[in-house]
Amino acid sequence: MPILPDWAIQVLQVVSILALAPLVSGIIARAEAIIQQRRGPRVLQPYYDIFKLLRKQTVLPAPAGPVFRAAPYVSFAGYATIPLLIPALTNFPLPLGYEADFFGVGMIFALTSFSISVAAVDSGSPYAQLGSSRLRSFGAFNEPTVIFVTFVLALTTHTDLPYAFGATIRSAVVQVVRPSHLLMIAAFFMLVLNETGRIPVENHGSTLEFGQIEEARVAEHSGPGLAFLRWGSNVKQLLLFTIFMNVLVVPWGLASTGRLDDVALAIALLFVKALGVGVAVVVIECSFAKLRLYKIPEFTVASFMFSVLAVVIFLFEPSFGNEHLSVFGAFATIGAVVVLLLEYGMLRSQDVWEQLRLYSLGSGAVAALAIATAATGRGSSALYVLGAVTIALKALLFPVGISFVLRRLGSEPRVPSALGAPSSILVAIALCSLAFIVLRPIHIGGVQALPLSALPLAIGGVLVALELMIVRPSAPSQLLGFLVLENAVSVASLVIAPGLPIILALLLLFDVLIGVLVFVVLVQYLAIERTAVRTDVLNRLTG
Amino acid sequence: MSWTLYALLAVPLVAVLITLVDGWRLARASTLVAGLVSLALAIVIGFHVRHGEVVIAAAGWLRVDSLGAVFLLATGLLYAIAAVFSIGYLAADEAHSDFPAFARRYFVYLNLFGWTMLVVPVAADFGTLWVAVELTTIVSALLVAIDRTDAALEASWKYVLIASSGLGIALLAIVILYATGTSVLGGAYLPRFERFLTHAHGLSRDAVDLSFVLAVVGFGTKVGFVPMHTWLPDAHSEAPAPVSALLSGSLLAAAFYAILRFFQVAVAAGQRSFAEHVLIVFGVISLVAAGLFVVRQANYKRLLAYSSIEHMGIIAVGIGFGAPIAVAGALLHVITHACAKGLAFFGSGSLLRGYDTKEVDGITDAGRAMPFTGPMFLAAALALSGLPLSGVFRSEFQIVAGGFASGQDVGVTLLLVLVNLAFFGIIWHAGRMVLGRPEQASPGGAPGGAPAAGVVARERSAWMVAGMLGCLVVSVALGVHLPSAFSALLQSAGHRLAVPV
Repeated sequence: MPILPDWAIQVLQVVSILALAPLVSGIIARAEAIIQQRRGPRVLQPYYDIFKLLRKQTVLPAPAGPVFRAAPYVSFAGYATIPLLIPALTNFPLPLGYEADFFGVGMIFALTSFSISVAAVDSGSPYAQLGSSRLRSFGAFNEPTVIFVTFVLALTTHTDLPYAFGATIRSAVVQVVRPSHLLMIAAFFMLVLNETGRIPVENHGSTLEFGQIEEARVAEHSGPGLAFLRWGSNVKQLLLFTIFMNVLVVPWGLASTGRLDDVALAIALLFVKALGVGVAVVVIECSFAKLRLYKIPEFTVASFMFSVLAVVIFLFEPSFGNEHLSVFGAFATIGAVVVLLLEYGMLRSQDVWEQLRLYSLGSGAVAALAIATAATGRGSSALYVLGAVTIALKALLFPVGISFVLRRLGSEPRVPSALGAPSSILVAIALCSLAFIVLRPIHIGGVQALPLSALPLAIGGVLVALELMIVRPSAPSQLLGFLVLENAVSVASLVIAPGLPIILALLLLFDVLIGVLVFVVLVQYLAIERTAVRTDVLNRLTG
Repeated sequence: MSWTLYALLAVPLVAVLITLVDGWRLARASTLVAGLVSLALAIVIGFHVRHGEVVIAAAGWLRVDSLGAVFLLATGLLYAIAAVFSIGYLAADEAHSDFPAFARRYFVYLNLFGWTMLVVPVAADFGTLWVAVELTTIVSALLVAIDRTDAALEASWKYVLIASSGLGIALLAIVILYATGTSVLGGAYLPRFERFLTHAHGLSRDAVDLSFVLAVVGFGTKVGFVPMHTWLPDAHSEAPAPVSALLSGSLLAAAFYAILRFFQVAVAAGQRSFAEHVLIVFGVISLVAAGLFVVRQANYKRLLAYSSIEHMGIIAVGIGFGAPIAVAGALLHVITHACAKGLAFFGSGSLLRGYDTKEVDGITDAGRAMPFTGPMFLAAALALSGLPLSGVFRSEFQIVAGGFASGQDVGVTLLLVLVNLAFFGIIWHAGRMVLGRPEQASPGGAPGGAPAAGVVARERSAWMVAGMLGCLVVSVALGVHLPSAFSALLQSAGHRLAVPV
């Protein structure tokens, strides 16, 4: 098998990214269309669009100058440069790989965005300017997010080179399931959604909407310029996906030598990984609504705060000496982080149905954790039963039953909040940090190699659940707060006490079941007697 | 002896069954019988375990030692007397068209409530203990809400939400204790009390401390420690009077019992002084807050509720003093407080039936209008304040003596000052209610202190008087003479908290 020289691989990196990017976009668009029961465009449609636009004439707005004309090419050049700097195909640095670090990559992204924004101003079109000013203001928190993500990378590896970070993860798999790393992944994923103009920030498909941000900026471009902008935005998406996967999530499957078959395999895997992110994007696009414009900063702030929490947790992560990774430990940490993040989602959500869905997902995560505990041999096989019962009760029966009761009561789906979403998330982050700080010096002991870093996550989850109950003066939300509290405790019990006899676990669940019944009865009484399920009106008894 | 445990757990359930099958008339009788039988069984069990014996049943899932027996006695006593009192208390509503359904619900919940509180001290492991305590919350929340008034619903909602959240934290304490236990007991085991105690030396001290604090916060929410007490005055004031008595005398004690089980583990693991300090801190904070709220309280049922917080604080401080006589005094206080507070809440229920108001200002001259209730309510107030002749005097005296014996002078001083503050508040309010003259209260001419229009204050039912009399007799009897068998039981229970076996 011939061995490719480094320069050839480097060229291949750029070429493969540029060539695959429209295909990835096309597949995502098609998949979305199919899920939404439309036929949708062909997967190759982005290529056709680009070729069509390349053949068309350029029409310039009257005030447009050289800045406007240069912008598409400047931005595209930027996008074409970035593949040289990130580990797209190889896990060893290519000659130009060390020319820029994570910040350098970020700055090139910023340059491309800047050139497009300036062009929008240069076009003189108010709509394009509106788009770019929106992007600037909503994106204000993206840069600090990138900085904090980089902090986590730099704290782990003592450098901020993307190649080095991938190598660190490969050398110690435990890195991937550290709570700080998982939170950083969450933050970066939200950043990717934001930067690629996906729901919940922007509706990618339509062109005539006043909520447009990214699309509005390029409204005045036409012909080859627009072709390069479109292509560039596809490339940008694939680049972000590549960084997300090849640096943060799964830095495996890269070519470790220059052999032709290795490199070919790496290209194929790059495509598969990008489609993996694409699946997540499609799921989110099909299950959530676009945020109202003035709610978008909450989304970006949330992603920023996750990255802050990631740094805080990194600094206070318990050094329990369990650095060798067990499969169970990986599941435990991932489960705990997922449950915690879903709680954040519930804290943010203004809609009781959405809260119910998030609770149901969280219960599913707890059940998966129970099953994983049994499957990895940490607990007895009775935990399969527990997992099944958890799914039946907490993921299905409770949400369905509660939503049935609420629908029958005809209660208002909107949940009041005593505190704005960003502030309550901020408080929640402070609470989680507190859990990590307090638990850091405490040695639980117990059977060796328990994944103890999941314990502060679970306790943070308990605290956040308490906060949820406090800031949401609505009976159904408070009931859900109690239920997520119970979920967080379940995570703790599965993580550090997987041997708890099944009979006790089932008794606990049974208890929760009766508790929920009583809660529901009380909610009904409240709704009938007070014609509302709000609890901030319950202020007769004081002193 | 294991048959006593089975019988104890079967009797209330039989009463529930009879109530469900038949109507409310038979329910009254069956509840009464169930309460009295439970009390008798509790006394039998207490007599049996008074020298440190242990009763075990159901393959080790049920277990009573002297510590649990003390709490069984408190529950059995109040359960029996509440059954007597309920007959008279409900009689006032008999004219209502939906009374049969209401009474049936009431007696079902009451028996279930009694049953759950009897389960708490007989549970043999932390998991069952937690489940039982949570069940008490759920059932009693329904009892608090049973009147379905605005205020009752509000109280019930706050109660079930706050108490369940607290118990969530308590569950975390159990999980952490379990986790640290795995190092000596293996990966999978039943978290039985005695297994922890025999292997306590191998537990991580950090984990024992952490789980103890979480248990005090979690179960302490139900005990009513300040600042987790916010549900307590609401629930106590809005529940029907017999339920208030059970909540205060028995439910709070049951939650305290759970804390004591953690205390035992902490002592066995060598963290005694840490645990004692935690209890003293929470106890003193509760004493301060409760004392202040008692003084300025205008609703006499809330007044009694804050007094419960105060007495839980006294018990916590008594355990925290650590001297054997103080610990025995604190355990005695569980019983004496149950009697005195039961008497007070039963009296408040009788007053409520007589005057139809919960306001202190709405009641005057109760001593004359209600010749049994009035004096007995005043007696309850005096007993709660720890005057001699009442059992509370004996138990508080033991606690203070134990405090001095163990050199906790600051703690004792604080205790005495704060108890006197509450003493002042309770006597001031109760004295006005029972002894005050209506004409003094209304200088403007309008009879402001007289009962509301159309309500004539008088004794409503001999059953209510009988219930109160029962409490009074026990309370005074414990103050005058402590039976030697009972004294031995307290000694043995105190010994379990000092050097657990």
